[in-house]
Amino acid sequence: MLNLIKYELIKKYKLFSIAIIFSLGLNVYHMTKGAGGSIFFIAFFPMIAGILYIVDVIRMYSDDLNKKSGYMLFMTPNSGYKIIVSKLITSVIEGFAILLIYFIFILINGVNIAISSGTEIVYSQIIRLVNSLLSGSFGINLGHIFVFLFAVLTFIIAFITTVYAAMTIRKSIFSEVKFGGLLSFIIFMLLNWVISSLSGNFFEAISPYYESISNTMSMGRISPADLAMVMLPMIGVSIFQIVALTGVSGYLLENKINL
Amino acid sequence: MSKLELLRIENLNKRYYNKTALSDVNLSIEKGKIYGLLGPNGSGKTTLMKVIAGLHKQTSGNVLVDGEPLSHKSKALISYMPTENYIYGDYKVKHVIRFYKDMYEDFQEDTALKILNGIKVDTEFRVSKLSSGLTGKLKVALALSRNAEFYMLDEPLNGVDVLSRDVIMDLIMKSYNENKTMIISTHLVSEIEKILDSVIFLKDGVIELQGDAEELRLSKGMSVEGLYKEVFRNA
Repeated sequence: MLNLIKYELIKKYKLFSIAIIFSLGLNVYHMTKGAGGSIFFIAFFPMIAGILYIVDVIRMYSDDLNKKSGYMLFMTPNSGYKIIVSKLITSVIEGFAILLIYFIFILINGVNIAISSGTEIVYSQIIRLVNSLLSGSFGINLGHIFVFLFAVLTFIIAFITTVYAAMTIRKSIFSEVKFGGLLSFIIFMLLNWVISSLSGNFFEAISPYYESISNTMSMGRISPADLAMVMLPMIGVSIFQIVALTGVSGYLLENKINL
Repeated sequence: MSKLELLRIENLNKRYYNKTALSDVNLSIEKGKIYGLLGPNGSGKTTLMKVIAGLHKQTSGNVLVDGEPLSHKSKALISYMPTENYIYGDYKVKHVIRFYKDMYEDFQEDTALKILNGIKVDTEFRVSKLSSGLTGKLKVALALSRNAEFYMLDEPLNGVDVLSRDVIMDLIMKSYNENKTMIISTHLVSEIEKILDSVIFLKDGVIELQGDAEELRLSKGMSVEGLYKEVFRNA
């Protein structure tokens, strides 16, 4: 499994390095335009990076299923389950790397904004601000951030898993059917429809248990534990979706694949 | 399955859309022999190999490798060389060797480096920059550098010049011993005839003829190449 992840990352490093260098160049260019340039960059970077991330993650699997270079992976004595899980873990690592780079850009541009607007940077104030954030003085603390990030992570992985499952079904059960690309998209839409209707029913069934939390939320303050409870059904459904669809993809890769 | 049998195929069928690629194929491959899988382009040789290698799923029928149904475990026993250029183009040759070493327990790095040195393939070359002849040699070198029980080489002589063909044939002969089994597919019968123990003639997805190469030569009174021409004359 580690080897599979290692070679996925090796394949990406060149493109990733080019993207970082290009982003750095773009950022330097915007920084020369003062605070406005930095704000523009910080606002648009996550949108562009997010789209490129999704495209790259889909391409990572699609290339192996649809191009001859995929034989290199599928000829190895690794089970279908290992292959699909390694792709998902690589996606998560890539996502975290992009997030980390974004935080670095925020720091760099934050300093630039302060300098451009003539504000003196007082590091003790920044540390105090971070402390306040972590201790909950602003109504949120590290617990909230952790719950939120965990929820976002599960939603993204669930989305990627659904895309991967659609592509796997196309290359296995429906491999002998024409108009594969269109079919793959229809399968993806169908999977989403099934999942959303199942989760809708699930949320409806458990909603009575959430009245007390709704009351707390209406007062404008919510603890990390309550936030976790609110998000738990969504996270639960996403985790179920990830496990089920990864299992289906792994089984099909192992037993039904037609490259 | 007998102890001598390495591969058994029973009633194998493979269909694509509305085309039948393999039809009711039954085959038994014994250990320690070199088999020639012979047939013109489009006869089903590549499809058969891909099914055995686990890259294609058969429509129906059974395939047993060393008594076990196909799975990721059988891929550890089979060293398969696809006819297509399957090696990731952005890798340098040294990266490909490292990939094989990490993925296959039976891969012998020293053997690979020795072969590549002998056939003048620089490990610093990027795969996408290699000529078709060098790529062909690299693919053969990678497949033969595994210490596997079972080798499947799909059209190893395709797209390479006459001199390179000799080099590839030499590599195959040097790698073979009585503990190894090989299936080599080709339509260039004359180049390969001398090393074959058995032949399988595949025509339009159906096995037309199979048997011991020497017995066929004696019984039909002609070379395997002559027999090939006779079988496929109207194909």
